[in-house]
Amino acid sequence: MVFYRPQGNEIALFEHAFANRLPLMIKGPTGCGKTRFVRYMAERLERPLYTVACHDDLTAADLTGRHLIGEGGTFWSDGPLTRAVREGAICYLDEVVEARKDTTVVLHPLTDDRRILPLERTGETLHAPNGFMLVVSYNPGYQNLLKGMKPSTRQRFVAITFDFPRPALEVEILQEEAGIDRTTAERLVQLANCLRALKDHDLEEAASTRLLVYAATLIASGLDQREACRAALAEPLTDDGETLNALGEIIDANLA
Amino acid sequence: MEEQVGAFWHRLITRLAEHRYPQAAVHLESVAPLLGILFRALGGDGGLEICAAEAEPHRARRKWLQRLAGTGDRIALAWRDERTLRLPPVLDCFPESALNRDLYLWLAALAVQRPPASFGDWFIHSQQMTRETLSRFPGLRSRYRRLVDAHLCLRPDPERLPPEEARQERAVRQALQSPGQVTELPPAKRPPQPVPLWLHPSPPQAAAPGYREDDPQMTPSDPRNRSLGARKRKRGERVAMPNKDQGLITIRMENIFSWSEYVKVDRSTDEEEDLDRAQTAAEDLDRVALARDRKASGARLRFDLDLPAESEDDLILRDGLLLPEWDWKRRSLLPNHCRVQELLASEAPPQPLPPHLRRTAKRLRHQFQALTPARVWQHGQPDGQEVDLDAYLRFVTDRRAGVNTHADGLYRAMRTGARDLACLLIADLSLSTDTWINDQARVIDVIRDSLYLFAESLAATGDAFAMLGFSSRRRDPIRIHQIKSFAETYSAQVRGRIQAIKPGYYTRMGAALRYGADLLAEQPAGRRLLLLLSDGKPNDLDKYEGRYGIEDTRHAVQAARRLGLTPFCVTIDERGNDYLPYLFGTGGYVVIRHPSELPTRLPLLYARLTA
Ligand SMILES: Nc1ncnc2c1ncn2[C@@H]1O[C@H](COP(=O)(O)OP(=O)(O)O)[C@@H](O)[C@H]1O
Ligand SMILES: [Mg+2]
Repeated sequence: MVFYRPQGNEIALFEHAFANRLPLMIKGPTGCGKTRFVRYMAERLERPLYTVACHDDLTAADLTGRHLIGEGGTFWSDGPLTRAVREGAICYLDEVVEARKDTTVVLHPLTDDRRILPLERTGETLHAPNGFMLVVSYNPGYQNLLKGMKPSTRQRFVAITFDFPRPALEVEILQEEAGIDRTTAERLVQLANCLRALKDHDLEEAASTRLLVYAATLIASGLDQREACRAALAEPLTDDGETLNALGEIIDANLA
Repeated sequence: MEEQVGAFWHRLITRLAEHRYPQAAVHLESVAPLLGILFRALGGDGGLEICAAEAEPHRARRKWLQRLAGTGDRIALAWRDERTLRLPPVLDCFPESALNRDLYLWLAALAVQRPPASFGDWFIHSQQMTRETLSRFPGLRSRYRRLVDAHLCLRPDPERLPPEEARQERAVRQALQSPGQVTELPPAKRPPQPVPLWLHPSPPQAAAPGYREDDPQMTPSDPRNRSLGARKRKRGERVAMPNKDQGLITIRMENIFSWSEYVKVDRSTDEEEDLDRAQTAAEDLDRVALARDRKASGARLRFDLDLPAESEDDLILRDGLLLPEWDWKRRSLLPNHCRVQELLASEAPPQPLPPHLRRTAKRLRHQFQALTPARVWQHGQPDGQEVDLDAYLRFVTDRRAGVNTHADGLYRAMRTGARDLACLLIADLSLSTDTWINDQARVIDVIRDSLYLFAESLAATGDAFAMLGFSSRRRDPIRIHQIKSFAETYSAQVRGRIQAIKPGYYTRMGAALRYGADLLAEQPAGRRLLLLLSDGKPNDLDKYEGRYGIEDTRHAVQAARRLGLTPFCVTIDERGNDYLPYLFGTGGYVVIRHPSELPTRLPLLYARLTA
């Protein structure tokens, strides 16, 4: 089973939402464990998982499906959403604000108590079985202000906010994910929190748990600590030379 | 003890003056941004600012400084107060520049710790700070070692000192080598040679009788602290640079108002005492006349400034547009409450872009050109250069599958990419923008540069945009300065108007937002951004100060949202976090802590918002 260290009561919340057939929205910065959590829950609830990374060219047909040409003529091919509905699976739309608003409208009939998915092109109307659950995630923050979600879409979900794991948890996650020792993990987490203090002021993005896992992985595989941190925690966060220098000093100060 | 510490540091300065290695000098300017980031990352207060503990070239200020701080020497110290971290403008006490640079980094890291609680245990506290810093950041240990080794070579040899001083010197040396181990500085007639690796215990001028750096009763949440804090800060600023948006050279209206508000609100302490303190605060502004005014009016402050006469260099374009205002007490929108005067600067000859912005503008234009997909294929068009294979495929397969579809939108067309975006920038041009943020620039200058760079950047994207400035004098008139309309292209004429902006009167934010929202709502774009550039709270001479103005502004923001616009506020008011979430929502604003960064950050913010 995939490793997941809970941050709070999210597992219970997810289970209650699932049992009551409610769609769930997970808010939080990138790389804080949202995807991992959904994977874990799918395994725990023994449901298949369909994940869609949203982008602004994503059309409703990409979600529901389309007719394709095959050898013997044309046939209908289900999109991930349709498949999830048919199978009673969990459908996870990652970074849902990246999708255009007219795309997310197809979710509406699925997210109220009708729980149906009308397929215009095949003339079918699918009724979602109890096993189906819709989960979306997005990263709030001013960068997504203009994209935002339509209130009419937002208001169909129960929601939970994720943040980076508390230091003690993050240390465990690093040990588990990358197999590094406790002291190194603690150093890395302290370093990450130093870098996170720079968010909005000097850096646009906070160093994520994902990047931290990368750094730990590089260290575990034998790369020099400083170089690993530079490659995984400084370079991805900024292109500005002066800021990079400063991040280098911060890394140096934190590593023994 | 205080005297002793003072003398100690005086010797540091003189000694630093003796031992100089100019060829290895490191200037604060060259490392300040680095130190700032390091300081914040290691846990230092993000609001704290790093500046040179140096007198500006400014004549008057230097005189002040000497008056307040004794000699001009004293300023080259490292110390922090609740607002600023001051570091020497140059470090050249070590023969290698790497060491001088390391000393800067070390001081910045050290300053993350709380400053000494009092003069008495400063010797011990410095060791504790060192210990704490080294244990939290093991990576600094080798750097600290190097610095101590280099510094010990420069210290006097205890063998050659008289016994008392030798004892002291040995204590200092041991304190440096094993910080935390030495519990007492043995007394001697002369203070020991100073230690540049430690922070000065407190701002030099704070040695005034009765001053206590750390009053245990004053926790940050205590409102009393704020008022006093503000005052201390003022004093600090006299010694060195005026602090960004809190300069002393002109009065900052909002501050006076906030003090007066505070007087009204804080009932926890004796009213009398409050007034006293507010009085001192006002006197701090070097305008005793104002302070008298306030005294006469009792607990509230009401005065009309000696405002510049209605300027004649503004052409009145249109006069008399009426706008409503929200009265939160009556919970109703007062119709036709504000009168708008639309103005155009008449003394605004066409301008080239100011030279100091050219390089940045060029860079921004490049970046912004990349924002717009120059040419894009638009799919599903009824007509176009090519068949849209995807659409055609869908059409054919649907047909074959027996679905009744229509043969429309089967082509793709190449179009120049338009972003379907319109932005109206509203700049606060109230009197507070006359405040100096440093020696070179006032807030208004920063706003001017911001408008230039904003326009340069947006012109490169092809996004529809307009710019206007506003200030107000009660509800009549709301002065709206046209800078660029949606219909105009960005040109030398527009630059002329940007050049001509100047500080006006007060900040009736709600009216300006309503005016702007109506204008922006006429734009056909799919996404419409109403961008407010501000330096403080809403305020005006009448009841608009305080709650009334806040509620009216909030109402205007919400109305704009209902029109389908996205309001967003960019402020340089570092107290912005206190009230902006209420006005614009938590994701609806950013605070730019260093006003001088506003011009370059504004276009980038726009890029982020609209990406
Ligand atoms: N609570 C957690 N338990 C286990 N691993 C985690 C946890 N949070 C984050 N991670 C690690 O961080 C990485 C990134 O998390 P992910 O779920 O992909 O982030 P998000 O979906 O929020 O962008 C994961 O691959 C995993 O290694
Ligand atoms: Mg103002």
